[in-house]
Amino acid sequence: MWRNVAVIGVGQTKHGIRREVNVAEMIGEAAWKAIEDAELAPEEIDAIAIGNMQGFGGICQAELWSGDWFGAPGKPLLRIATGGTTGGSVAQCAIYQVASGMFDVALAIGFEKHSDSKEPGATMGLAHVGLANFFHLLACGLDFKTSLAWGGGVGAAAGVSGYQAANYMHRSGCKIEHLDMVAAKSRSNAAKNEYAHLQWPNCTVDYIANHPRFGEIVAYPLRLGHICPASDGASAIIVAAEERARSAERPAWVRGLASCADEENQMAENAQGVAVTDSSEQIQCKIAATKAYSMAGIKNPREEIDVAEIYQPFPHQELIYSERLQLFDDGKAWIPLEEGETQIDGRLPIDPSGGVLSTNAIGSSAMQRVAECALQIMGKAGQHQVPKDVKNAVAHGWGGSTNFTVVTILGDTPRLRR
Amino acid sequence: MRGKVAIIGYAQSYHQGNMPMTREDMVFEVAKGAAEMAGITREDLDTVINASNDYLDGRTISELFLVMPMGAYLRDYTKVEMDGAFAMFYGMLKILSGTHDIALIVANTQGSTFNPHQISTYMLDPTFDRQIGVLNDVSMAAIQARMYMNKYSVSEDEVAIVSLKNLGNAAKNPHAHRRMPGITIEEVLNSKLLYDPIRELTMSPISDGACAVVLATEKKARELSDNPVWIEGVGSSQDSYIRNRNLYHLEGLEKAAKRAYQMADIKNQFAELDLAEVSERYAYEELMIYEALGFCEKGKGGTLIDSCATFKDGQLPVNPSGGALSADPITATGLIRVVEAVMQIRGEAGACQLPGVWRALAHGQTGVCAQSNIVYILGGEY
Repeated sequence: MWRNVAVIGVGQTKHGIRREVNVAEMIGEAAWKAIEDAELAPEEIDAIAIGNMQGFGGICQAELWSGDWFGAPGKPLLRIATGGTTGGSVAQCAIYQVASGMFDVALAIGFEKHSDSKEPGATMGLAHVGLANFFHLLACGLDFKTSLAWGGGVGAAAGVSGYQAANYMHRSGCKIEHLDMVAAKSRSNAAKNEYAHLQWPNCTVDYIANHPRFGEIVAYPLRLGHICPASDGASAIIVAAEERARSAERPAWVRGLASCADEENQMAENAQGVAVTDSSEQIQCKIAATKAYSMAGIKNPREEIDVAEIYQPFPHQELIYSERLQLFDDGKAWIPLEEGETQIDGRLPIDPSGGVLSTNAIGSSAMQRVAECALQIMGKAGQHQVPKDVKNAVAHGWGGSTNFTVVTILGDTPRLRR
Repeated sequence: MRGKVAIIGYAQSYHQGNMPMTREDMVFEVAKGAAEMAGITREDLDTVINASNDYLDGRTISELFLVMPMGAYLRDYTKVEMDGAFAMFYGMLKILSGTHDIALIVANTQGSTFNPHQISTYMLDPTFDRQIGVLNDVSMAAIQARMYMNKYSVSEDEVAIVSLKNLGNAAKNPHAHRRMPGITIEEVLNSKLLYDPIRELTMSPISDGACAVVLATEKKARELSDNPVWIEGVGSSQDSYIRNRNLYHLEGLEKAAKRAYQMADIKNQFAELDLAEVSERYAYEELMIYEALGFCEKGKGGTLIDSCATFKDGQLPVNPSGGALSADPITATGLIRVVEAVMQIRGEAGACQLPGVWRALAHGQTGVCAQSNIVYILGGEY
């Protein structure tokens, strides 16, 4: 049986290039901030969920080595990793740890330290998957060129997403200018978020489109200015059972959550015979959102959701996923964008924190979406607090080759009313 | 526990050194096998949880192509990057939350992809321990083994008896990788020395393998299964990093076991358990596991194995399947222990079957020198 749970504490490190700390110190920073924010003693934590994409930082199961820095010894710990969704999956794990009645207070941590790796993991990580396919196909006896085209030719995350963006633009009528708008909005929002990586105050569409470097097309239709950075950073939340959460000033209650996987949808479509050919379709996000909304008792997300934190390392994804989260009509999200509805002071602010476009420490990114929603509900988002009463917020994450989705709904009242 | 959770289906592969099968095929067979045994189809799966490790699989987001073979597409899905026994715990949490009724847990590793002992150096502190260049999971185990054996005067012969017992038991287990009927102490003691005192036959082999279980709520379990096996207790704990802890004992496992015993209301584990399946990556480790699980006093693991109490016909048989020494597809090993215990409780263990198994313990571990541990107490229908 479900029991009410809430987020009662949030901790984030400054995200960026963090050469002055190591992984353990960075995780510790976020974890202790969250514990202090929740006004807990470390021994009150009953269980821990943690995750990152370990290939990107060069440490296998870093929580085994670094556990002593965040109070793990003697506690049950689950390590979760699902690609880009990792942080969101970790947050959901902590929610289940408490909702199940097994534990009263859980600490969830997501982290990544890309600068420890010799390559920009956030954008090159998917190239590993493609590369593995390439060798797999080569080993199956296909010739070099065919193997490269089918397996290795995906061009990493930007390549995968470029293909998805082109698909979306083709069917929706969205133009490159709209992608510029999303990028400009995210980067200027990030300037108001002290933990964000790329902070470009008052960034304009013109700046993104006409900058000699950022305006350059990297993989059509994506410009360099459209692409997320590879950040270092960690974020953490404290999830507590109702009895404990009641003592918090304004907890962010978990109203609904869901995750959903689709078939791997881009990298080996020829070789594996999978059915998904339009990677901008994102049916798994629709399913997850429907489940989460119904669990939260939200009938009309357009009216009832006050703020959305969408995982958008590439700008078209903010548009696709806001449609799949049922916040806008299918193929029409660029119209409210044009009209400024999704700005911080708009009707439905999307990514007031600056989102993943401005800060991408993979394991931390989807966790930050949940953390930022919690901050907006608690009224503790500081300069990027949206100027309205936030009753419900939706946090989203995508992972894999855009085929995994997690959706978490937070609200100002508990899910089950007495 | 708020409600009961049962295991209603399971499957495991024929673990071997270099499986002539892709990862996807291997996983498909166990996922399908477990679902068929539970009498469910893909549409009945509320959640699918994979347990594998990107480093061991040699690719980022290694489960990406397992979504289809696991039957996870368009279903709730997540991955636990630890032993499958931990993934099963997550499955339990989801079911106890009342949001899911049926969970499929799939654990897989193909050790033949890349030498897992080489990968273990990436689990060490990157600033100091990794840089020394001589530490890995086997050399750390050698240090622990020597510390333990010296402190408690445990002989190499006593350690070899563990291998003798487990590899001998494995001879009757068709799923085991290393089956050695008629194995002798001399054979164990004369096997290749890797890091003193760790020898080839006192250490687990590098295996390819997969394992799957289906979990269900009490209501679903009674609908679908004639002999569900209930999770009566579970406990888990992560220990400090190897440099910061006492290597003479497995304190993390001790804590995990205490939690599981408390939940299952077990006061005298030696008398109340009919069987234990433990993940002993090294023969000496099984002796330390006896002590941590409270089967004997601290330092008396050697005496316990000498008394033959943990042999197949002993008072408390440990690893009648052959344990991790007989097959070790890393992230699947703990879940295989759960499955072997379930098989014994249901009377489906074939040639390994022991009489009168009602209540069994299963143990899974992750990390160098068994840093993170999970213990289950499983019971049949009384």
